[in-house]
Amino acid sequence: MAARPLVSVFSLTGDKSGETSLPAVMTAPLRSDIVQFVHTNMNKNNRQAYAVSLYAGKQVSASSWGTGRAVARIPRVGGGGTSRSGQGAFGNMCRTGRMFAPTKTWRKWHRKINTTQKRYAVASALAATAVPALVMARGHVVDNVPEIPLVLDNALESTKKTSQAKEILASVGAFDDVEKAADSKQIRAGKGKMRNRRYTLRRGPLVIYSNNDGVEQACRNLPGVELCCVDRLNLLQLAPGGHMGRFCVWSQSALEALDTIYGADGKRIPTAAMTNADLARIINSDEIQSVLNPAKAGQATYAPKANPLKNIDALEKLDAYAAAARRAETKAQEARASNKAQLLAAKRGVKKERKQFKAQGKAFYEASVKQGDVCADGFDM
Amino acid sequence: MQHDEMIWQVINHQFCSYKSTIGKAKSDKTMFCRHPYSVTGLCNRTTCPLANSKYATIREEEGKVHLYIKTVERAHSPKNLWEKILLSRNYSKALQQLDEHLAYFPKALVHRNKQRLTKVHQYLIRMRKIKLKELSGRKAKMVGIHRKIDQREERREKKALTAANIEKNIEKELVERLARGTYGDIYNFPEVPYQKALQQAEEDAEVEEEEEEEYESEEEEGEGIVEYVEDLEDEEEEEEDVEDMEYMGDGQWGSGSEEEEEEDSDEDSEEDSSSEDESSSSEESSSDDEGKAKKKKKPASKRPKTQRRKGTRVEIEYEEENEEENPMEQDAVAGMAW
Repeated sequence: MAARPLVSVFSLTGDKSGETSLPAVMTAPLRSDIVQFVHTNMNKNNRQAYAVSLYAGKQVSASSWGTGRAVARIPRVGGGGTSRSGQGAFGNMCRTGRMFAPTKTWRKWHRKINTTQKRYAVASALAATAVPALVMARGHVVDNVPEIPLVLDNALESTKKTSQAKEILASVGAFDDVEKAADSKQIRAGKGKMRNRRYTLRRGPLVIYSNNDGVEQACRNLPGVELCCVDRLNLLQLAPGGHMGRFCVWSQSALEALDTIYGADGKRIPTAAMTNADLARIINSDEIQSVLNPAKAGQATYAPKANPLKNIDALEKLDAYAAAARRAETKAQEARASNKAQLLAAKRGVKKERKQFKAQGKAFYEASVKQGDVCADGFDM
Repeated sequence: MQHDEMIWQVINHQFCSYKSTIGKAKSDKTMFCRHPYSVTGLCNRTTCPLANSKYATIREEEGKVHLYIKTVERAHSPKNLWEKILLSRNYSKALQQLDEHLAYFPKALVHRNKQRLTKVHQYLIRMRKIKLKELSGRKAKMVGIHRKIDQREERREKKALTAANIEKNIEKELVERLARGTYGDIYNFPEVPYQKALQQAEEDAEVEEEEEEEYESEEEEGEGIVEYVEDLEDEEEEEEDVEDMEYMGDGQWGSGSEEEEEEDSDEDSEEDSSSEDESSSSEESSSDDEGKAKKKKKPASKRPKTQRRKGTRVEIEYEEENEEENPMEQDAVAGMAW
């Protein structure tokens, strides 16, 4: 985008009430690879450690019986009088033995990510929110949204009631996405349902504000809706699942604040390697074509190779007899096919004849029946 | 245009919610586009409705065919993205309209749209034909089979059938009705067993009376106090094992050679008396005791005895069921199956 386009600002009733310019971040390069990398690593940062007990499987005084006893050499529980005695212990293959490589709490749970990479990812994700195609591709229902990026009047930040928030979103066409999230509530498949993660839900719109005057409380109970302050934009919310293009609803001051956060005095906006990334168009443009060397004359043009197994002409060049045989076969087949029509016609003719014959017989019978009872008046032999 | 390329890179390599694939092997994989505005159903760079800012589609709704056009100028506004143009119902006129509206579009896209229009018209014609045939009765309406649903319903029907317990419930209902008396006196019992049952009921009533008398007499004596009394008659008992007894013919078992006793006559009289089960058992026990006593007293003498008259004889009576009931006379009863 050369000149920075204008973005309409909508009032809380859905009418256009003003304009503002698109922040420079929204023109950042769309680097899905960086976003994916940063997301996968950032996602690990809120994990809680898990491990098996330190002494699990080891609290047995078992020793191997050694060789010569016609049993495997695994350590066995000593003592007697219980079915436990003589059972294998300690190994990962044994029942109630220690597992292979017992999980430890000092596993590396969190990941460090370079700050510039993190910032790059956020900038890319922000840019993606301004591309309607990417928002749609991510799966949001935005068919009735008047404009993307969707910017609402600052009065949005002071909504206090959820019902009011719902009306606002509905008037602006954003409620379809909320409804989609609400419809998608399912009980989770798997053990997570008994680990306090009972329901799964799609993600709805992300409402971004610059200062909270009640929006948080108003919008947070709507299914799928998440809220974020401009100052602390979260990649995990801007690109859920590592996929760019979350549907964002901005307040005007939040959008304008982006210019201060990312700008000359703020965070660096990444620059793209190519300003115009449409390679096909560049190559075919006049500027390039006019400067190219003319095409070399007299170059042998080769026809694409024809497969002799499929192409009869190619087969003929290799084996004339086989090609001729195949041609004859196809001809005979066609003849048979055309013959089929004749045969069918003949059969139908026969059927017609038979029908006629039957009809004649029937007519004769009926006529003869009408003649009346031959013997009614008696007869002389 | 610049954006289109970027969009396609992201969609194709990363994620597009409209993309679906069939075929697991890389060679067989076909990628489909489930976007409702896609011209072809395939996921391609040139036919992706998201990655092409200049795009057109044909869509049919309730028999009406519309042309949808999308341009760059409206790319930022999803609400006003698609321009909807109603096409003529006449096929050739519709084609002309396509040419007119898609004049400056890439030829390939126009061609695709024409193909789609053709297909739409063809299937509309087919639908009309089928409907007419259906209305005139020449062809039945074809309904799709939903195997999953049908199998599920079948399974449930089976379960419901077994859960209904139809026979049991019918039986219950009929018995209830009988008890209520809705059938009046129309009982259809087979006659002979009914008569037996009546007789039995009478006899039971008599026996009950007798038993009541006995019970009363017993109560007078001791009021239920159990007394243990010596068995004075037979001291030095030697119980005879059943194993020792030999079969002496005529259904009689005994200890073989026995000796005469003074009490033979007593035995005979006792043994001859008609027996009911209880009395016979008491007889048996008493005769057992006596026999054993005799054995001990005179072991030496080995006078042969006739089996019938003397010797410990244990009459083993074989209990017969239904002793009191007369055998059913098959001829007399009407309504019997056999």
